Amino acid sequence: MGYANLVIGAIFIPVIGAFCLPLAARASNRLRNLLSFAFIASSFILSLKLIPLVLSGQTILITKQFALGLNFTLLADSLAVFMACVSSLISALIVLYSFGYISHYENQNEYYFMVTLFLGAMIGLIFSANLILLYIFWEITAITSWRLIGFFRDKPYVLKADKAFLVTVFGSLVMLVGFLAIYQQAGSFDLPVIREAFKTQLISNLTVILILAGIFSKSATLPFHTWLPDAGVAPSPVTALLHAAVLVKIGVYVFARIFIVNITPDVLWHTVVPLAAGLSAIVSAGAALLETDLKRIIAYSTISQIGFIFFGLAIGNGVAILGALLYILMHGLAKAGLFLCAGIVEQNAKVKDITKLGGLISTMPVTAVSFLFCSFSIMGVPPFGGFFSKFLVFNGALASERLWVVLIFLIAAFMTIIYLFRVFNLVFLGKANIQAKESSPIMVATVATLAGLSLVAGILIYYPYKFAQIATWQMLGAIK
Amino acid sequence: MHALLILAPFLGSFILNLPFRKVNKRLSFGVCAALFLLQMAVILIPDFGLNKINPAALANIFNFDLGVDALSKVMLFCIGLVALVTLCTNSLFLKDSDDKFNFINVLLIAVSGMNGIVLAKDIFSLYVFLEITAVASFILIAFNREELGLEGAFKYILLSSIATVLMIAGIALFFLVSGSTHFAAIHSALLAQDKSLLINLAIALFVSALFIKGGLMPFHGWLPDAYSSAPAASSVFLAGIVTKAAGVYVLIRILVSIAGFSLTLKSVLLFVGAFSAIIGAIAALTQTDFKRMLSYSSISQIGYIILGVGTGTVLGLAGAALHIFNHAVFKSLLFMNSAAVEKALGTRDISKMGGLGSQMPVTGLTSVLGSLSCAGIPPLAGFWSKLIIIIALWSAGFKTYAVIAILGSVLTLAYFLSLQRSVFFGKLNAEFKNIKEAGFSLLFPMILLGVITLGVGIFLPLVLDKFILSFNAVLGG
Repeated sequence: MGYANLVIGAIFIPVIGAFCLPLAARASNRLRNLLSFAFIASSFILSLKLIPLVLSGQTILITKQFALGLNFTLLADSLAVFMACVSSLISALIVLYSFGYISHYENQNEYYFMVTLFLGAMIGLIFSANLILLYIFWEITAITSWRLIGFFRDKPYVLKADKAFLVTVFGSLVMLVGFLAIYQQAGSFDLPVIREAFKTQLISNLTVILILAGIFSKSATLPFHTWLPDAGVAPSPVTALLHAAVLVKIGVYVFARIFIVNITPDVLWHTVVPLAAGLSAIVSAGAALLETDLKRIIAYSTISQIGFIFFGLAIGNGVAILGALLYILMHGLAKAGLFLCAGIVEQNAKVKDITKLGGLISTMPVTAVSFLFCSFSIMGVPPFGGFFSKFLVFNGALASERLWVVLIFLIAAFMTIIYLFRVFNLVFLGKANIQAKESSPIMVATVATLAGLSLVAGILIYYPYKFAQIATWQMLGAIK
Repeated sequence: MHALLILAPFLGSFILNLPFRKVNKRLSFGVCAALFLLQMAVILIPDFGLNKINPAALANIFNFDLGVDALSKVMLFCIGLVALVTLCTNSLFLKDSDDKFNFINVLLIAVSGMNGIVLAKDIFSLYVFLEITAVASFILIAFNREELGLEGAFKYILLSSIATVLMIAGIALFFLVSGSTHFAAIHSALLAQDKSLLINLAIALFVSALFIKGGLMPFHGWLPDAYSSAPAASSVFLAGIVTKAAGVYVLIRILVSIAGFSLTLKSVLLFVGAFSAIIGAIAALTQTDFKRMLSYSSISQIGYIILGVGTGTVLGLAGAALHIFNHAVFKSLLFMNSAAVEKALGTRDISKMGGLGSQMPVTGLTSVLGSLSCAGIPPLAGFWSKLIIIIALWSAGFKTYAVIAILGSVLTLAYFLSLQRSVFFGKLNAEFKNIKEAGFSLLFPMILLGVITLGVGIFLPLVLDKFILSFNAVLGG
C-alpha cells in the first residue's frame, strides 16, 4: 500500500500543486518558484523510492473500476519507473534554470503553473495502464505545451503554438480511433486485460497505423515533424523541457508501452518503423546541417535522435531495446543541456544566427565546455553516456540482420558529428563578433550539471545499464 | 410537483405585474434567481422538500399527463442553470430598470414554456409549450428594438412558422391514425398498424420541423443571424438552452416515445448530424464576428448531439444528453465571454482585438476552458460527452461516422485556437491598454460555469455508470 501511495503522490503532487502556485505568487514570487521546484523534485524523489521495488521484479497495479472501461488504472513497472525518474530529474534541473531565465519576463505565474502541471501529466501518462487515462494525460501535456510555446505572445509565435497543438491533437485523435479498435477487440481499455486478449489474437495493421500516427506526431517524426523546429520560438527552458528531453519522449514511451510490452504487432513493423525512423533521422540531420538558427538546429537534431530511439525499440531484440532505453536517458540529459546552453547564448548575445556568432568560448567558458560535453554525448563519443546507448542500439540492429537500415543510421550518426561540430565551431570558436557574458550562476550551474551528468552517466554506466536491463527483461516478459 | 415547475415561473411573472410595481421591480431579480436555483435543487437533490409535494389538486391542474425521466431531468437542470446565468448577464447589460424588469418577465415565461416542453407527455400540449417558448424568444431577440435584432427575430419567426405548419400537419396525421394526442396512445397505434405511408409522412413532417427548430444544416439559416444580433443576455439564453429544448429535446422525445428508431430514420439523423458537425465547424473557421463564430459552433455541436441520438442506443442517448448539458455550460460561458469583450471594446470583430487575456484574466481563462471543452480536449467536461458519443457510434457499427466525429474535433479546435489567438492569447493591442475586466455580475457566472466545466471533467467517471444506466428507462419507456 505504501508503494501505491508513492505512485499516486508522484503524479498528483505536481498536478494539484500546480494550482497552488498562482496563490503562492501572491505571497512572493520566490516562494512560487521554490514550490514549483519542490513539487517536481518530490515527484523525482518518490519515483526514486520505487526503484528498489521494481528492481526486485515486482510491479504495482492500482485499479479503480468505472463505467465503460474508463477505469483509473495505474501500473508501475521498471519501464515506467525508469521513465519517471528520467523525466522528473531533467524537469527539476530545467526548473532550476528557469529561476534565472524567466525572471525578467511577464506571465511567470502561467509559466510555472504550466511547467508543473506538464510534469505531473507526464508522470501520470507514464504510470497509466488504461488507454483513455493515458489519452487524457497526453492531451493535458498538449494543452500545457500550447500555452508554453506561445509564452512570448507575439503573433507568429502564437501561430506556431497553435500549429504544434493542432498537429499533435490531430495525431492523438487518430490514435484515439486506434484505441477504440483495440477496445472492440479486447473489450477493455486496461492494458493488462489487453495484453491477455492479444496473446490469442492479432492486431490489424490499420490499427497499428492509427496509433503510430499519434505516436509519430507527438515524437515529431516524419511526416509530422514540422511543428518541432517551429516550436523553438518558445523560451529556451520550455524547448528543453518539452521538445528535447521530456515531451517528445512521450511517443517513444507509448510505443514501447503498447507495442513492445502489451501487443505484438505484425513482423512487418520491425522493418517499416525502423525505415520510417531512419528516413526521419537522415532528413532532419540534413536539415540541421543547413539551418543557421541555433535552436532550430538543435530541434532538428532532436528529431534525428528520436529516430535512433524508435530504431532501437522497433528492431525488437533485447540489446536494441536496452540501448533505446539508455538512449532516452542520455539524449534527455545531453539535449536538455544543449538547449539550455543555447538559451544562455541567445539571452546574452541576443542573436540566434550561428553565422553571426563566434569566439564565445573566451567570455563564456563554462557554457562552451558544457555545450561541448553535451555534444560529445549526442555524437556518441566514449566515455560519454551517449556512446553506450548508441553502441547498444547498433549492436542490437546488427544482430537482427537488417544491414541496410543500419547503414542509414550510420550515415545519420556521421551527420550528427558534423552538424554539432559545425555549431560548436561557429558559435564558440573563431573570432568574437559579439561580446557576451555568462548568465546568472544558477543557469550556468544547471548546464554544467547536465554536462557533468552526461559524463558521469557514461563512466558509471553500470547502474543505468543494470536498471535498463531489468526493464528490458520485464518488457519482453522474461521476468514477470 | 412537476406541474409546479411550469406554474411557478408563470405565476411569478403574473405576480410581479400586480400593483406595487416599484417594490416588485426591486424584488424581481431575487425572486427569479431563487426560482431558478430551486429548479436546479429539485433535480439535484431527490430528497428536496418540494419533491415530496404531490397533492392530487396540483396533479390535476392540467388536463394532460406530465412525466419526468433521466433525459427531462438533464434538461430541467440545464434550463435552471442557463436561465440563472442569463439573469446575471442581463443585470449588467440593461441599464434601464424598466427594461430589466421586462426582460425578467419574458424570461420567466420562456422558462415556463420550456419546462412545459420537457415535461409534457402529450403531443398537442408539447406544441403549445413550443409556441410559448418561441414567442418569448422572438421578443428576447428583438429586445433592444434595434434594426439587426428585429431582422434576426423576423428571420426566426419566418422559419419558425414554417416549422409550426409542418408540426401541426404532423400532429393532425398522428391524431388521424391514433385518435389521441397522448404519446403512449400514438405509440401503440403506430405499433398496431404496420407502418403506412401516412405515418411515415407524419414522422417526416415532424422531424423536418424539428431540424429547423434545432438549427441543423441545411435548415440553419436563421440561427447565426438570430444569435449574433440578439442582445448579450438573450444570446446566452438562446444558444445555451432554447434551441436545445425546442429543437433537439423534442426531436429526441418524439423519436423515443412515439416514432421509434427505424433504419432509415437513423441514417437520416446520422447524415444530418455529421453534415452539421463538419460544415458548421468549417463555417465557423471563416468567421470574424465573435458571436457568429460561436453560432456556427453551436450548429456544429448540435450536429454532435444528433449523431449521438442517431445511434438509437442507450449509450448514444446518454452521450447526447450529456453533450446537451455540456453544451449548455460551455456555450453559455463562451457567449458571456463574448459579451464581456463586446462591452469592453464596443466591437465584435475579432480581427481588431488582441492580447486581451492580460487585461481580462478571468474572461480569458474561462474562455480557454470553454473552448477546450467544446473541442473535446480532456480533462474538460466536453471530452466525456464526445467520447461517449464516439464510443456509441463505434459500438453500434457506424465506424465511419465515429471517425468523422473524431476528425470534426480537429476542426473545432482549429477555430477555437484562431479565436483565442485573435482575442485573448497574443500581444496586447496598444489601444486597449485601459480595458477593464467585466463587472462582478458577469464574472460570477463565468467562474461558476468554468468550475462546472472543469469539475464535471474531472469527476464525471465517478457517476458515469449511474448516469448511463438511468437512460435505460428513457429508451424503454
